Amino acid sequence: MTSPATTSTSRWARGVVLPVAAVLAVMVFALNSSGYVVTVIGFAAIYAIFVTGLNFFMGYTGQASFGQNAFAALGGYGSAILSGNYYWDPLLALVVSMAFAGVVAAIVGYPTLKLRGHYLAMATFALGLITYEISIEWTGLTSGYMGISGIPPLGVGRYELGTEKQMLVALTAFLLLGVWISTRLRDSRFGRALRAIAGSEPAAQALGINVARYKLMAFVVAALYASCAGSLFAHFVGFISPEVFGGAMVIQSFTMLFLGGIGTTWGPVIGALMVLMLPEFLRGLKELQDVVYSCVLVMILIFAPKGLAGLVALIPTRRAPAAPRPAEAK
Amino acid sequence: MPDLVQFAQSLVNGVGVGLIYGLVGIGFCVIYNASGIVNFAQGVFVMLGGMVCHALLSKLGLPMIVAAVLTVPIVALAGLAIEFLVVRPMWDRGAALFAIILATLATQIAIERLTILTLGDQPRTYPEFTLGGPLKLGSIAISYQLFWILGCGSLMVVLLWLFFTRTTAGRALRACSQNREAAALLGIPVSRMLMLSFALSAGLGAVAGILVTPMQVTAYNIGTPFGVNGFIAAIIGGFGSAAGALAGGVLLGVLQALAIVLLGAGFKNVAALSVLLIVLFLFPSGIFAALQGSKGH
Repeated sequence: MTSPATTSTSRWARGVVLPVAAVLAVMVFALNSSGYVVTVIGFAAIYAIFVTGLNFFMGYTGQASFGQNAFAALGGYGSAILSGNYYWDPLLALVVSMAFAGVVAAIVGYPTLKLRGHYLAMATFALGLITYEISIEWTGLTSGYMGISGIPPLGVGRYELGTEKQMLVALTAFLLLGVWISTRLRDSRFGRALRAIAGSEPAAQALGINVARYKLMAFVVAALYASCAGSLFAHFVGFISPEVFGGAMVIQSFTMLFLGGIGTTWGPVIGALMVLMLPEFLRGLKELQDVVYSCVLVMILIFAPKGLAGLVALIPTRRAPAAPRPAEAK
Repeated sequence: MPDLVQFAQSLVNGVGVGLIYGLVGIGFCVIYNASGIVNFAQGVFVMLGGMVCHALLSKLGLPMIVAAVLTVPIVALAGLAIEFLVVRPMWDRGAALFAIILATLATQIAIERLTILTLGDQPRTYPEFTLGGPLKLGSIAISYQLFWILGCGSLMVVLLWLFFTRTTAGRALRACSQNREAAALLGIPVSRMLMLSFALSAGLGAVAGILVTPMQVTAYNIGTPFGVNGFIAAIIGGFGSAAGALAGGVLLGVLQALAIVLLGAGFKNVAALSVLLIVLFLFPSGIFAALQGSKGH
């Protein structure tokens, strides 16, 4: 594995400078556009954070979770309740919600991650469903189907990000920070252990990796990302309801992950942008949006299970692939 | 504190819904045994059963029996479509297990949205098959529909049992569940068995949906709860045995009915899902399998 210190300049340019420049370019483009574009790009940034976490657990570690929306809901409702009803500082609410989601992930992840195959899939799916049901039924806390409105925008102390464009800058900063952390984690000892687990659990075990503990840690990291994305959504839109974090979110985020390329650093960002731009090109098909997402996802799963980024790798190049490819999900 | 009558009443209702869960659970097992795939879109067949039957009744004005009999092959066709368009291409390419699960989940969302667009998003229901109920046993009311569920449910189990033990196709399916490679070597067309299992499983789901709709309502989104509860029933039954799934379904239905009496209706899904997680954590191979295992030692 290459450590950042020995990374060649060209790889540095391709892997870091170019994508960051692209993200900033998209942001600048959005800042010079109408409010609607700002909203779409803002959603893309939020989803990209969520999917980066998902990618961490599924792409790098090779595990499956169909219930990450549970942790987005914890973050979203945590932020909405703490900052809306109790007038907490939004940033503090976000951090506290993240910590809460992390603790919950550790507690439920411990027994859940011992399961395998279909049982793991169904158990994680159940986590998302339970959270969804609770957010509907616990009306005293969540207002049920009505949702919570009037959530204040992001801000620190007296400084409040009043406009959507200011918020977008903050979201971009969050996104770049999130991707940076994910990259650094991937190339750390921790990340290498996760990729070993993705490769072969018995082999990783034989190398002295505590498989159960590392899986749980990856699960918690993914939950932290999800919670952060949920909080940002609450502050960006100012309104949340159970549907926001429902089953459609699971399908949408997986579509992003596979479209952008599972296991790649920037795949989640590209995927989120592509999926959220899709309805713009399919105007008139607004009602069919979820159907289109589902069909796209199924087609990718059939024809390009490594995502569109995987297709690019099939194109023959003169240069031998220098960088070791991140482990693919099982 | 709820009184005895209330308890007995909820037991009766629980058995009815539980049999439905059992049928869905058997649907899970049929596909799983043939292919090793868990079809997460199983609940969609229950939803389609109720919705299609209602559409045939209300839009075409067909008599109940005709509508019910027509619904089953229509939904079985939907099952075949899922098999042909989604599962088979992935199966042939040797796709990862979780990718297939994800694809069936996406299929469920797509079918739900298409149902909203074609049939609407309003919950609907139709009258019980035999009007004039309920039957009164003291203070306990037993709706006639429950007898239909009991009757059709047992009929399905008997038919399934005959199918699996007496027909070539059924025996071939059982061979596949024991060892797919060996079955293929013996000349059993394993991939055609996958098709058969989807049609069978979808038909079972449709029967469940047709039977249960008069007791509650059907709507585009009832698929997930029925799917999850059917899955729980199958797990309690040890995943793979039809009788086990049916027993698991009844057990779950009764537990849920009691939970409603004690906790209120709002959290019944939370209760069921918690049961699922607890069962998974404690008995990863099913309660009945665990009991048998402990007897053996």
